[in-house]
Amino acid sequence: MKRIGIAAAAVACASLLVLTACAPRDGGGSDDGAGNDEITLVDAQPAGTQPVDEVTWAIAEGEPATLNPANSANLIIPNLCDNLLSLQPDFSIEPGIAETAEFVDPTTFVITLRDDVTFWDGSPVTAEDVVYSLQQSTNPASQWYGAFALVVPDPAVGIVATGPNEVTVRFVAPDSTFRDALAGQGGAVMQKAFGEKVGEAVGTSDGGLMCTGPYKLEDGGWTPGSDIVTTANEDYWNGAPLVKELTYTFVSDGSTLATALTQGEIDGAINVPPTSRAAFEGDGAGTLVVGHSTSSYSFGPASSTSAAANPKIRQALNLAIDREKYLETVVNGLGYVQKTLVPEFSFQSMEEADIYQAGYDALATPEVDIEAAKKLVEESGEDVSVPLVLAVVAGAPQFQQTAAIIQSAGKEIGLDIEINEMQASDFGALFYDPSKREGVDFVATQGYLETPGVIGYPSLFLLPEQLGGIFNWSGYDNPDVTAHMTAARNAVDAETAANEFVAAQEIFAPDYLQVTLAGAYQLTYINKDLTGVVTSVAAYSSPWALHLGGK
Amino acid sequence: MNALTRTLLGRLGGLVLTLFLASIVIFSAVLLTGDPIAALAGGAKPTPELVAQIRLEYHLDDPVWARYWMWLSGVFQGDFGRSFVYKTDVVSLVAPRFGITLQLVLLTVVLILIFGVGSGILAATRGARTDRTVAVLTSLGMALPTFVVAILLIWIFAKTLGWFPVYGAGEGFWDRLWHLVLPAISLAVLFVAYISRVTRSALIGQLHSEHVDTARVRGIPARRIFGVHVFRNASPQLLAISGTTIAGLFAASAIAEVAFGLGGIGSLLVQAAARADLPVVQIVSLLLVVIFVVLNAVADLISFAIDPTSLSEGMNA
Repeated sequence: MKRIGIAAAAVACASLLVLTACAPRDGGGSDDGAGNDEITLVDAQPAGTQPVDEVTWAIAEGEPATLNPANSANLIIPNLCDNLLSLQPDFSIEPGIAETAEFVDPTTFVITLRDDVTFWDGSPVTAEDVVYSLQQSTNPASQWYGAFALVVPDPAVGIVATGPNEVTVRFVAPDSTFRDALAGQGGAVMQKAFGEKVGEAVGTSDGGLMCTGPYKLEDGGWTPGSDIVTTANEDYWNGAPLVKELTYTFVSDGSTLATALTQGEIDGAINVPPTSRAAFEGDGAGTLVVGHSTSSYSFGPASSTSAAANPKIRQALNLAIDREKYLETVVNGLGYVQKTLVPEFSFQSMEEADIYQAGYDALATPEVDIEAAKKLVEESGEDVSVPLVLAVVAGAPQFQQTAAIIQSAGKEIGLDIEINEMQASDFGALFYDPSKREGVDFVATQGYLETPGVIGYPSLFLLPEQLGGIFNWSGYDNPDVTAHMTAARNAVDAETAANEFVAAQEIFAPDYLQVTLAGAYQLTYINKDLTGVVTSVAAYSSPWALHLGGK
Repeated sequence: MNALTRTLLGRLGGLVLTLFLASIVIFSAVLLTGDPIAALAGGAKPTPELVAQIRLEYHLDDPVWARYWMWLSGVFQGDFGRSFVYKTDVVSLVAPRFGITLQLVLLTVVLILIFGVGSGILAATRGARTDRTVAVLTSLGMALPTFVVAILLIWIFAKTLGWFPVYGAGEGFWDRLWHLVLPAISLAVLFVAYISRVTRSALIGQLHSEHVDTARVRGIPARRIFGVHVFRNASPQLLAISGTTIAGLFAASAIAEVAFGLGGIGSLLVQAAARADLPVVQIVSLLLVVIFVVLNAVADLISFAIDPTSLSEGMNA
């Protein structure tokens, strides 16, 4: 699913943001002289070869609320619950529990299951289990609902078992994005019998889980507040893991995490803070691995009535912000200039990637031009005597820095920008409660896409609300964009989908419904004795610890 | 022991009343400040339908008093509510974490008693030079916020010297103790300084009092004067301060817990507040009030046992 987007990211980061506020992190100014161009990107380490009894892994986002794949995106679930299709570290998709999963006609999608996959309790995965699992995502409360939006709503028709190892999904219109979504947690498989027995408690510390993944969560494995202990699934269909016990602990304080990792008290962590770069690259128990990511920092309009809704104002700000300075300050050099809200990594392994790449390359590279920016402000006809309010979440240094950079860029071109640092829960409420957005003109956030795909994420910002543009707060409505985006989603062949999307992007990119500030890399720190981890953003959707082991 | 019984009953009544009032304040304050929808939606994008469904399911549109009543009657049936975020019983969420906080606080109290009361006694009895030294050290201790001490300790003893672990609570008695030493020290510093000063001034007040002068004139040995007259008379004041100090430690522990990655109730409260997990915020806040009230009552009762006249004095003070 390509649209975890902002709301979820904002809510998920909420807790750690407040926590990190309590203790200073390592300063962002520690320049070790290493430039951006020296970074080597690694998406997966060589597989481990030696068995290891115990590995302790830190979850930098803090303790998850649930391990239910339908309701949460965190880095523990992918090792527990397999998805129907298997996302590779380079963001390509291969068969998983599903041997094949294809449209057999424009609105009928057939999934054929492998016949040798079993749940942790030894029972085989049946078509009924898959129907049950996929139906979780058709609930609006599911995080992956958007990917299933075009499935026939009637459960007796929409998702049905059509054979012992075959599931058929029927659509109200063709959907070129559905297959990619099955490589994410929208395609996670859970046991029906277990789910019905446990009910609402699925995925909680009391309820537990029953999945097929390489690691098992056993009764009492999750001690709230302390850790989550998982054990190797020796009968895993894709080979047993080398690590016998993988324990997750929760360390959301950046400096504590950096110290514990470099001291070797914790064996590894994904999403370590870029602010601790100097500590991670110094003498320590492990190494910092930099991988491809789809994560990016951006800001966009929050109101249809303010000057922020005028594309010229956003274009002007886009021209006033120095991206190189931004990268240096906010991500400590561990990022890159990204031209638009859909990053290159999200399509590089898709069919017709060349078309997407050519479309991306044709977009303007952000550059600083203060004079042109001033002119745009003038041309906009907006009353610039009223300050524009930029909302960021409180307590996170990277967003304080982001806000300060936007503010000073605004000042240079005659835009008065006020910063409103909001408490995490209020900031999260911005995304669904319109009253919370009153008095706010811009919102700055970080988001990422956990599966390949280019349509879902931008749709949130540029389609009319009734067509799924739930973050389209500026009321952007360009019929050409809507037509091309709809055509891209409903395309029955990959080439049409790609061409339609690129045509839409050509129009919407210069309107900056999100002013993209930087693309970030996936940062993983791992003990020198260990190897085998997926180090790209694919870790969110695939069992990244399957090949973890000793060197 | 009629007076004691009456005192006990009075205390108990006051305790229940305080808790009742506190529960109303906490319940309504929490409701007024947080919006739980994000927490309840569990990371999903809340559509208007979902928001409406959640509001109905969790009675978010009912008046505060109705929700308070629902909650209170639940409490009497042993149901303290369910976490919006974790979807589990809040008791099962709070209980294991409370153990860690309790151990941390106990260790901190031991440190405070040894170093705080100890240095206070030294300052009051060992001449001007010692007094000055302790005064300088306690000024320093009071000036250092807990998180600064935590960072210094991590830097020196965990990172540079590698003597102590930097995060986590450890398993088994010795490992747990070893993990709690640095957090306890970082938490204790401020309170050691505070208790030291209070001890010093309470003792000096007694040392200069008439009955001590009288005892001295009567030739009673200094050690005995200190034990029987000075320390005993100063103890109700020390106990009263200790009660609030220990209760304060439970709240202050949040900072040390976050810095050292301990999953106690302090860090739980911080997290729950950030995620607008109201039932958890309510229960932890109430728990802190209970601890505060109970510890104060216990301190009063011990004072009463030592010196039956202290209670009325204490209550009027």
